[in-house]
Amino acid sequence: MTTLGLAETEKSGGPDAASRKPAISIRDCSLTFGDVRVLNRVELDIFQGEFLSILGPSGCGKSTLLRLLLGLLKPDAGGEIVHHGNPDEIGIVFQKPVLMPWLTAIQNIEVPLSIGPMAKMGKAERRAKAEQALELVGLADFRRHFPGQLSGGMQQRIAIARALAAEPSVLLMDEPFGALDEFTREKLNFELLRLWKNPDSSLQTVVMVTHSIQESVIMSDRIVMMSKRPARVEDILAVPLSHPREVEMEELPEFIQTVKELRKRVKDQ
Amino acid sequence: MSAKAKDIMYPVVYALGLLILWEAAVLIFDLPLYLLPAPSDVVQVIGADLLSNMGVTMFEALLGFLLANVLGFVTAVIFVHSRPVEKGMFPLAIALKTTPVVALAPLLVIWLGTGYWSKVAASMIICFFPILVNSVKGLKAVEHEAWELFTAYKGSRWEIFWKLRLPNSLPYVMSALKISSSLAIVGAIVGEFVGASKGLGYMVLVSSYHLDTPVMFSAIAAAAVCGLILFGILSWLEKKMIFWQKVDEAA
Repeated sequence: MTTLGLAETEKSGGPDAASRKPAISIRDCSLTFGDVRVLNRVELDIFQGEFLSILGPSGCGKSTLLRLLLGLLKPDAGGEIVHHGNPDEIGIVFQKPVLMPWLTAIQNIEVPLSIGPMAKMGKAERRAKAEQALELVGLADFRRHFPGQLSGGMQQRIAIARALAAEPSVLLMDEPFGALDEFTREKLNFELLRLWKNPDSSLQTVVMVTHSIQESVIMSDRIVMMSKRPARVEDILAVPLSHPREVEMEELPEFIQTVKELRKRVKDQ
Repeated sequence: MSAKAKDIMYPVVYALGLLILWEAAVLIFDLPLYLLPAPSDVVQVIGADLLSNMGVTMFEALLGFLLANVLGFVTAVIFVHSRPVEKGMFPLAIALKTTPVVALAPLLVIWLGTGYWSKVAASMIICFFPILVNSVKGLKAVEHEAWELFTAYKGSRWEIFWKLRLPNSLPYVMSALKISSSLAIVGAIVGEFVGASKGLGYMVLVSSYHLDTPVMFSAIAAAAVCGLILFGILSWLEKKMIFWQKVDEAA
């Protein structure tokens, strides 16, 4: 179907195909709510170290797929989610920040570190990890602020810091910048890419659900196109852009071509 | 003048103005004491007797209020964690709510006697429903994603309750406390009407037998003051505890 030779350029962007190890594999996953089939035999390998976007129309089941990866939902019989690494090393960022308004920024970041298996962690260690995560998103000066005192963009950065504090190797993001204005969104896009490449963060793999074609192209190594409901993997595209990504890359012919190609496929659906 | 000072000044000025008008009206129309005493007549009967009766009513109301709120909140927690219990008991709670406490008061006096406990029970019955309904609402009003966050990080049921549901329910709980603070006084006074030897309700009743209207007015005013004190304390507590709502409004 593709005439652009996108597959050939894959190597320049993503990690070398031969050395790729899957982080999570989705095997034949279907999901049915009552009579409604949301996911239809989804097959997908998420590779270690890649930035993967899941693109699809609103309500197609992209977010449902993330919840499957998180273990919040179970696939129908026959389907399987295989975690090749530690399934506990997964972070999550939602579209809304979902911060506790009664906790300060730093206390919000400590939430995942103070529940479940991590509740055993010592106070000092917890605080140190939270401080480091806050540092990573550049909000160290706001540690004592309450969410209500922070802008939407800052709140979302706190949410990202909260996910990073638990030192995940895989970060799942559900339209993380969908509720933000265009300026903040663009800024955070590149900030997230820098975090992902930052050796101080434990992040290896990022899976981002989005409905923005541009966002998916500028950020990811590979883009998974989902079909309309019931969603299945329609197509997987490699993005022919190198790292580190810059905002100017949006003017490169490779960027424009990829966006065009994706648009065409969306239309053909 | 600061906005805060104005907030206090305006009601005070209006209240004083109203009292002066009242005093003037009694003088001008020469109203008899048993019909409408002037504020100056009412002030003269304020004394130790009134204060001790006020203390009794306040004690009964406060005890009923506290017991009802503890019991109501615990019931709400059980409801939220067990659907069968909620389904079975919620209609009963509504039935209790729709039964007027005035109709129950004589029964309470038969069961619990003319002492404190019948009034405390009347207060409890009237305060129970607001806290139950609001706590159930507040404990359930947790954002779905927040629940997912806790579940994704393997938070236990207890952690979800303690770190998420409970703080989330506080604004709802506080508004129930404010609603029932005045209801608690109503419960105590209704109980006193039926059978008591002290308290503001008893004072109102006895003064009505003697057509001692100034005393009656003083008791009514004292009942209002009881409600205001409780409401004031709770409003202050709400501001301190639910500080994030104020922050939200400002944002």
